[in-house]
Amino acid sequence: MGTATGIIKALNSGIKHLAVKRFTLRYPEQKLKFVGDGYQYDPNTGVGIAGYKGRHMLFHDHCTGCQLCSIACEGIAEAIAMVKVPEEWKQNKKAIMPQIDYGKCVFCGLCVDACPFYALYMTNDYELSSFTKEGLIYTPAQLQVKPNVQQDVEFKFDNPRGATHG
Amino acid sequence: MSTIAPKFRLSYFIKSITDNAFWAVLLLTLIGIPFVMVILFYLQLPVLGKRLLDPYLALTTLADPSRQIPLIKSLLQTEFFKIAAFPGFGFAALLAAGTIFVERKMLAKLQLRVGPFYCGKIEGILQLMSDGIKLLSKEIIIPAKADKPIFWAAPVLFVATAAAFVSLIPAARGGWVVADADVGLLAVFAVIGFFPVITVLSAWSANSKFPFIGGIRALHQMVSFEIPLILSVLGVVILTGTLNLTEIVESQYTYWWIIFLPIGAIVFFIAMLAELERIPFDLPEAESEIVAGWLTEFSGMMYGLVQLGSYLKLYAFAGLFVVLFLGGWSGPNIWPPFPQEIIDKGIEMGPITLRLPGLPLLDQQMLNDVLWFVVKVVGVIFFILLPRGVFPRIRIDLLLHIGWYKLIGLAFVNIFIALALVYAGVLGPGGIL
Amino acid sequence: MSTTSLPPGLQIEKVDERIMTLNVGPQHPGSGHMRIIVKIDGDYIVDADPDPGYVHRGEEKMAEYRNYIQNIPHLERPVIHDSCNVLYPYCLGVEELLGISVPERAKYIRVIASELNRCVYTQYWLAIYGIFLGHSTMFMWPAGDRELLIDMLEKMTGARVTHAYFVPGGVRNDVPANFEDMLLKRVNYFEKRIKEYAAIFYDNPILISRTRDAGKLSREDAIRLGTTGSVLRASGVDYDLRVKEPYDAYGELDIKVNTLKEGDAYARSKIPWLDMLESCNIIRQALQKMPKSGSVRVKLKPNPKGGNDEVYKRVESGRGSLGCYVVSRSTAEPYRVKMSVGSFRNLICMPYLLKGEKLGNMPAVYWSLNYWPVEADR
Repeated sequence: MGTATGIIKALNSGIKHLAVKRFTLRYPEQKLKFVGDGYQYDPNTGVGIAGYKGRHMLFHDHCTGCQLCSIACEGIAEAIAMVKVPEEWKQNKKAIMPQIDYGKCVFCGLCVDACPFYALYMTNDYELSSFTKEGLIYTPAQLQVKPNVQQDVEFKFDNPRGATHG
Repeated sequence: MSTIAPKFRLSYFIKSITDNAFWAVLLLTLIGIPFVMVILFYLQLPVLGKRLLDPYLALTTLADPSRQIPLIKSLLQTEFFKIAAFPGFGFAALLAAGTIFVERKMLAKLQLRVGPFYCGKIEGILQLMSDGIKLLSKEIIIPAKADKPIFWAAPVLFVATAAAFVSLIPAARGGWVVADADVGLLAVFAVIGFFPVITVLSAWSANSKFPFIGGIRALHQMVSFEIPLILSVLGVVILTGTLNLTEIVESQYTYWWIIFLPIGAIVFFIAMLAELERIPFDLPEAESEIVAGWLTEFSGMMYGLVQLGSYLKLYAFAGLFVVLFLGGWSGPNIWPPFPQEIIDKGIEMGPITLRLPGLPLLDQQMLNDVLWFVVKVVGVIFFILLPRGVFPRIRIDLLLHIGWYKLIGLAFVNIFIALALVYAGVLGPGGIL
Repeated sequence: MSTTSLPPGLQIEKVDERIMTLNVGPQHPGSGHMRIIVKIDGDYIVDADPDPGYVHRGEEKMAEYRNYIQNIPHLERPVIHDSCNVLYPYCLGVEELLGISVPERAKYIRVIASELNRCVYTQYWLAIYGIFLGHSTMFMWPAGDRELLIDMLEKMTGARVTHAYFVPGGVRNDVPANFEDMLLKRVNYFEKRIKEYAAIFYDNPILISRTRDAGKLSREDAIRLGTTGSVLRASGVDYDLRVKEPYDAYGELDIKVNTLKEGDAYARSKIPWLDMLESCNIIRQALQKMPKSGSVRVKLKPNPKGGNDEVYKRVESGRGSLGCYVVSRSTAEPYRVKMSVGSFRNLICMPYLLKGEKLGNMPAVYWSLNYWPVEADR
């Protein structure tokens, strides 16, 4: 008799779940919301600010070409190389800036931790695919652009019939 | 989601059009003309207003639609309609396709996810059609050391046997069954006995390790559950005194047999799940242990045929359960009768008025029967699909233990209950009820 | 046949007529990233020979070429969902080598992240266990419910898996605003969801008949073979490193250790589920006791170097005790890093338990040993 009650309870649980709302996130029509603006690091306090580790953003008016981000990445993924830029900045006499290869980057954010000049942050942008490998290498000019990230939905727990991506 | 299209050249395009036209004309004449000859020889052409049907008459009926009624009625009574459309292959295939789609959606809802969604505007309705087209366009790969004639023939045999099983199930009163056999139930079991043979043939001819294990497991499973299947039905046969499926349904107009023989119904249900290789009994296709069991080497349309055969078998078994235990097509008369004035005066349809001389095309009683039959079959199919989301797979020795010990014991208890009911004079021929 | 002509390392094996060798190999829906060479006689397994090493990358050797901070994204790769727990003993060891002490708030945040990671890993393992047994619902429900916690980890650390969150000295960033509220809502709903697994999985008579008395590991054998983690606790040994050797803030929390007596596959599959229910309690306690403000990271000198020293630290991860042995030699890079993982320790049970089992029981037994192939190979 124990097996019969076990089977009936299992079937009962199955039928009850036919009434629970579906949990799926309908990507790409719906995209999840983010908290904050991306991972950032404050060299004065030595602590980061919580955020999503997506594509990097380079502030050309702060970068001095010190290569610390590139040196930090050498032991991890070797994704940052310094290239010459045709811009003239007072703080960047050598006129070099980092170029990031997203085919190799592991999005760990240690380059952001290494920068002492508030020049390298990470944004919420995660849709970085491309048709060629060369297209994945983002030049300093491309890294300057602030991304436009679509955010629609987040978790909703109010419905008594289950949680959904609302 | 963009495709990379080759460059367009006009000469290639015209060449492809002429190629297609050539092949179309060739096939039409090579196959179409013998087909027409066969129809003219063997088919009984109806007589419309004292004239034998010929193409000119067929085209003139288009002008006056009311003249088509006798034509359609005569087509409905032919054997061909019963085999191909209702209640034979077409009806079963439609229900099978609906079952596959409903299964995927119901399982998805149970698992809190969406299921097929993007094919077709509303919730992925056209998913099955696209799956069929995909299977048609795939290459069929035969293993090098396989036994080719049997390997090619196995899926076709499988569908043929499943269709033979479908042909024995009655759907409405008045002879709406493809093969009205006096020993219908015995014929059903004879056909079911073929399935293990076909499974082992297809597994053996594939000549590979995983199908071999799957085929042996399928053989064990199907053979050991055939005996409880037959024994559980004996109770119904004792109470009705006949093996004809139509008469079994007719004897349930007052009470359904499941009220008196619930144990038999449960044993039949479990044995049915095992014969259909549904979860929890899907060892022959246990994916995590033996890749795909006896279906491993089938690809392309052969796999599609095997799936079609499986779901035809599912409809047939559900239909058999309804016929034996749930009263077939009996149910209260809820189909509204055709209003009398339509029969007398005709329907107003815009500029033309359709007159329906004589009786309407389909009987009101027959439509009511079909409605109740379909409702009950859908209910039984729901309970067959539900364990797929709820139970894990069972192990082979537990399976054999259940099949040979427990189910046969319960079936014998069921037979004793039926005998007791007959001898007490409660049921059966010459009983109180 | 003389054996002197064979190259070294090869053996000659007599082939028996009855015994079939089955290669449950890396390309198999029931095996994971490893190979098991199984010899079967009809339906019974005569010999099982696990063949790990398909995912070996040389992590420990590569760690000698990276300095202490650059090792963080590198050493977390063996188990990507459970990455905080894999980094935990390394961080504790390096902190001892460099002589730094972690602030209080960082300790509690580490405890919360570690427990979240344990739940995420256990849900993934449970999902694969369900699909090995043919229970597709038990694959979808855990995989869906763990999205709640992965979303929480993403808000906290910035990445869904491979968080790179722990560093020697604390954690890399503080939690976002409104964190406590969000975490409590998710953990409460998560606990409600995993209690539903009881009706459909753990009390399911078919599952019980399949896994009860399969692969029985007695208490003495469990201790003798050196198993750890949920395998050990399912055989009746009350040993959990969070209670026996408390580290970080675990000493101040009230943890109940779940044990079961039978030691069969059913008990081994139930213990991680009970542990997940316990993790929800731990997270709630840690949220209450956490200091409301404070620093979360100790600022290190650039390129920190340790002295001529060695240290070994152990942590309870999702699979058992995970230990890290770090040797430093006054350079910026460690001289040697050795990870001793729970999966590799429990691997010894596999040939021991599978011998004499039925073939149908093989996935149920071998995956219930809480074995993660990538971690065992490193």
